[in-house]
Amino acid sequence: MPLISVHNLVKEFSGQRVLNGINLEVYEGDLKVVMGPSGCGKSTLLRCLNRLIEPTSGTIHFRGQDITGADVDIRALRQSIGFVFQQFALYRHLSVLDNVTLALLKLRGMSKAEAEEKALHELNRLGIATHRDKYPSQISGGQKQRVALARALAMDPVVIFFDEPTSALDPVMSREVADLINQMRAENVTMLCVTHDLRLARQISDRVVFLDEGVVKAEDTIDHLCNAHSDSKINDFFSSGVRGQ
Amino acid sequence: MSESLGMLDIFALLANGIGFTVLVTVTCSLTAMLVGLLIAGTRRLGFRAMNPFLDVYTYVFRGIPVLVLLFMVYFGLPGIGIKVPPLMAMALSLGLISGAYLAEVFRGALNAVDPAELLAAESMGMSRLQIFRYIEFPQMLRFSLPGMVNEFTSVLKYSPFAYTVGIPEITKQAIALTATTLRGTEIYFAVGVLYFAIFKILLMAVKFIERRYCAPDMLAS
Repeated sequence: MPLISVHNLVKEFSGQRVLNGINLEVYEGDLKVVMGPSGCGKSTLLRCLNRLIEPTSGTIHFRGQDITGADVDIRALRQSIGFVFQQFALYRHLSVLDNVTLALLKLRGMSKAEAEEKALHELNRLGIATHRDKYPSQISGGQKQRVALARALAMDPVVIFFDEPTSALDPVMSREVADLINQMRAENVTMLCVTHDLRLARQISDRVVFLDEGVVKAEDTIDHLCNAHSDSKINDFFSSGVRGQ
Repeated sequence: MSESLGMLDIFALLANGIGFTVLVTVTCSLTAMLVGLLIAGTRRLGFRAMNPFLDVYTYVFRGIPVLVLLFMVYFGLPGIGIKVPPLMAMALSLGLISGAYLAEVFRGALNAVDPAELLAAESMGMSRLQIFRYIEFPQMLRFSLPGMVNEFTSVLKYSPFAYTVGIPEITKQAIALTATTLRGTEIYFAVGVLYFAIFKILLMAVKFIERRYCAPDMLAS
């Protein structure tokens, strides 16, 4: 049984269809990479999955349970999904350590000692524990993304969503993020990554889902998609990346 | 006697008023904080039905002179059977007016909170109230520090109005002292020095709080 199963998902914003019948499955231990041009609905898709955005129609099953209904405990759902954002979105008034402990203290009800132990474990795992007392403004972009990932991991999520995790980073830092994702993959963390960064996609996965105009256009290996595909949209998107390599 | 009155004596005689000046300033500032937070919080948490009332409040109270409202409360309300003690009259006039200004300071500060951080908190599974409590509110306080200092300074400088309702603060002492000694220049110079000293202590306290609690990129100065 898939961990996440999306069926015929539609999202309309004031009459405009951003998602036009998406079908997608994510299995436990998967690293699913969703690609597509800007405005194809990638971010909207992610946000529908944790109900930051309400889908117009279609079903989303999360661990076998339909989560599109009104009676779903949305906050519990969100706590089981780690979310890593493009702009890092670290809480700037909190130190690195406090960024990670906040949800443990306030949502999990842990004691301060427990929460700090858990947070330091995650920060150590990502090699950033030495910066525990710094503020977000004092660390680099790549380090911020590590903290953001540690913050997500600390909640022991069932799956982690990455929303364009490298868009705000230079190639060196992007590589750092790719390494992190690969590290997580080796540790069997289920991940769903949305990106238009073909270099990142290559570094973390062989296969990608290609999203365009609100539908899944293809799910194939990157090599296949890059080699003179018959669909002109796919060709345009992936060939630009080939030249860029 | 006026021949023998030195500067130190003047300060000593005025000192009786310092406690009252501080009391009036602190009372009115706390009232203003409470009102400002209540207004900004209500607006932010989206109780839409309240918005017209909040708009009218901030609009009207920013437009009334402090002294006029003070007289309305202190001399007007007894006419309809409500007797208001002097300190409360100050809180209900200067405090409420200052609260309207602070509400605007807080509103601006709340708008400076990064929406991405709020989205992150929401996707963590926090409730609207938790997001306000743990993310928006603490950041708002830090962002609004310069505006708050301005407002508290205004309150301090409006506090002499308290003498009109019989609170024996610094200015009141100075008036009494001048009436008996006719040494207005030295006395009001001393009054100015005292207000400046209170202002300076306030600034130092704020600087201390800022160093202690603000993230490096959130420092106001």
